[in-house]
Amino acid sequence: MTDRRRINGPPSGTRPAVFASSLKSASSISTARPRRQRQPDELRKIFLKTGLIPSASGSAYLEFEPSASLAAARSSPQSLIPPSSALKLACTVHGPKPLPRSASFSPNIVLTTHVKYAPFAARQRKGHIRDASERDLGVHLETALRGVIVAERWPKSGLDITITILEAEDDRWWGDAPDSHDAPWGMMNVLAGCITAASAAIADARIDCLDLVAGGVAAIVSDETPDGEPSTPKLMLDTDPAEHKSILSACVVAYMPSRDEITELWLKGDHSKSSLGTTDQNLSHESLIDGAVNAARGAHTVLAEAVKESAERFAGLPTGGSTV
Amino acid sequence: MASAAPSVPPSLTLPPSQFARLQPHAYLLAHLSPPASSNQPSIRANGRATSQFRVTSANTGSLTHTNGSAVVRVGDTTAVCGVRAEILPTDDIASWSVSHSSSSMNKRRKLTNPAQKPTQEEEDPEDETHIQQLNLLVPNLSLSTGCAPGFIPGAPPSALAQSLSHQILNLLHSTRLVRAEDLRIWYQPPSLGQEDLERHNESEQMDVDAERGEEVGKDKEIKAFWVLYIDIMIISLAGNPFDAAWAAVLAALRDTKLPRAWWDVDNEMVVCSDAVSESRKLSLRGLPVASSFCVFEADAAAGWRAVIIPDAEEEREIEESARKGIQRRWILADPDGYEEGLTQERVCIVVDKEEGTGKTVIVKMEKNGGWAVDGKELKALVDISAQRWGEVKHILEQC
Repeated sequence: MTDRRRINGPPSGTRPAVFASSLKSASSISTARPRRQRQPDELRKIFLKTGLIPSASGSAYLEFEPSASLAAARSSPQSLIPPSSALKLACTVHGPKPLPRSASFSPNIVLTTHVKYAPFAARQRKGHIRDASERDLGVHLETALRGVIVAERWPKSGLDITITILEAEDDRWWGDAPDSHDAPWGMMNVLAGCITAASAAIADARIDCLDLVAGGVAAIVSDETPDGEPSTPKLMLDTDPAEHKSILSACVVAYMPSRDEITELWLKGDHSKSSLGTTDQNLSHESLIDGAVNAARGAHTVLAEAVKESAERFAGLPTGGSTV
Repeated sequence: MASAAPSVPPSLTLPPSQFARLQPHAYLLAHLSPPASSNQPSIRANGRATSQFRVTSANTGSLTHTNGSAVVRVGDTTAVCGVRAEILPTDDIASWSVSHSSSSMNKRRKLTNPAQKPTQEEEDPEDETHIQQLNLLVPNLSLSTGCAPGFIPGAPPSALAQSLSHQILNLLHSTRLVRAEDLRIWYQPPSLGQEDLERHNESEQMDVDAERGEEVGKDKEIKAFWVLYIDIMIISLAGNPFDAAWAAVLAALRDTKLPRAWWDVDNEMVVCSDAVSESRKLSLRGLPVASSFCVFEADAAAGWRAVIIPDAEEEREIEESARKGIQRRWILADPDGYEEGLTQERVCIVVDKEEGTGKTVIVKMEKNGGWAVDGKELKALVDISAQRWGEVKHILEQC
């Protein structure tokens, strides 16, 4: 079915480029897997800025620091295949605005979240119409934010939160077979970024919240030792899926530090004792969630700075903003 | 209407920002035609002179999963453009065998003059036909990114987004910015007897004339094309999306690197090399730069009345007032969102400069929505656009 409201490419479709190096045997490229240079509890740096989109009531732009391998590939490009990618997304908040006449009465604010990948965001080209994973992200984001906004202050109003993902996280390393990691792990990092950015944008729109909610990811990974043997599973914060041979389970939380409350929890993967092969207490459910909460705490410090900046800009408006 | 301007100061008890919302037309008019007593220059509400463009910045190559990417900010309007190249094998093109054999005449003529061939400077008659017929350039512009309150995310593209996408596509085709030669993936069959035999069978099947078989051994053939998906996300919209989008497309195409690709006979597919040193940039034809203008009329009713060509009497009236020094309309360069809402008539001029002579070439000129801009004014606008061309070129070359 062709989309008549967009410009379509060749009717027969096109194929993504196949690189000769990926056709060779797997052993020759496994050395090129990017390695995690950070400590297990060290987070990537986050760039977060509010107020970049003046026509929206609130906006934020978030960017993760490129991993060491990606930064190296950028500074001295050797291969056209990027080793990993770093999240980049823009979030806008429109509202609170009156609901359309046709809508039924609502005593609370009606929250609409919308997450869309740009067609060039991921390794595989994305379609223009939202797919299941994007709708899924939207629902997760809505649950994360609904617990934060003081909804009864705006009856009969709507709030639209739109997130455009310009660059997504990889689900796995490109050299791995497509089925070697079963789940789309990159989505969890994307969700954590969406939560943090949306929280900043909502604060930038001056909407009353209980607290600033921040997203964090932790995962239990089992890496390869240099001899090619799988190592013992480890708990790591803010994992980049491209850097790990296999992720056993991952958890993303939306966390409010001052209330010590979790508004959204998403746990994926299998880390039962039998699959881990160990009874280490550090790899339990609770420790995984605690790890994600710690990652969220880290993101919260960045978030607080960004919101402070936004507030300063807002306070500075009446004095410095006279244009006439 | 001119009396609206002097009456403003005493009645103004609101802060300017609120007055701008309540009485947008009078507000802008008061800025453009200040009372003679105030000794203020005529200036737009956003502080720019009438022919002044907003501050423009560009950044390229920041997106990882693209062949070329650019972010262009024109004032508060931000456009992100990413170019993704994918492969279209000729086997997948239904009409390929037909069109290919019909165009073999051209190719044969070229082959007779081998000295000319490597330069590729000659005008290739097949250029546009390949790019246009096979849809090798696929630009799509998206406004449903929350860029402005009016656009509902998730809805199908709005009329504005559709028209902008098509304008960009048309401009890509009419400027012939991308060379078809850059998008072709050739295959030079080794001159083996077996290969010839196979090809001979093929030509028999296609019922092609016999003389084709004679040259077949040395004839290169196109095995695939690169298709460039050019996706533009307008992240922030504050007027004049076309200029920003086109500048982003231009910057992204300048940044685009295509990997070296060849036909792999064993796998029967096109394979690329991932070495950066082997990839090549697109060689674009010229550097067309778009400049948009809008016409603001002192008559507030001009916004909603039907466009009527003035009769002789009205024409005289306008001329008379112009003689008296009362300006009735202003041509504003690079309108922001506020000004776009107050104007009907739009002009878009795309100019390029010839490399050697520096002569300005008008690539596209579009004008709609009114009759205020005539030949004389268009000429002045082309001069402004040419000046803008220099600015944009400087910005694009720096990024």
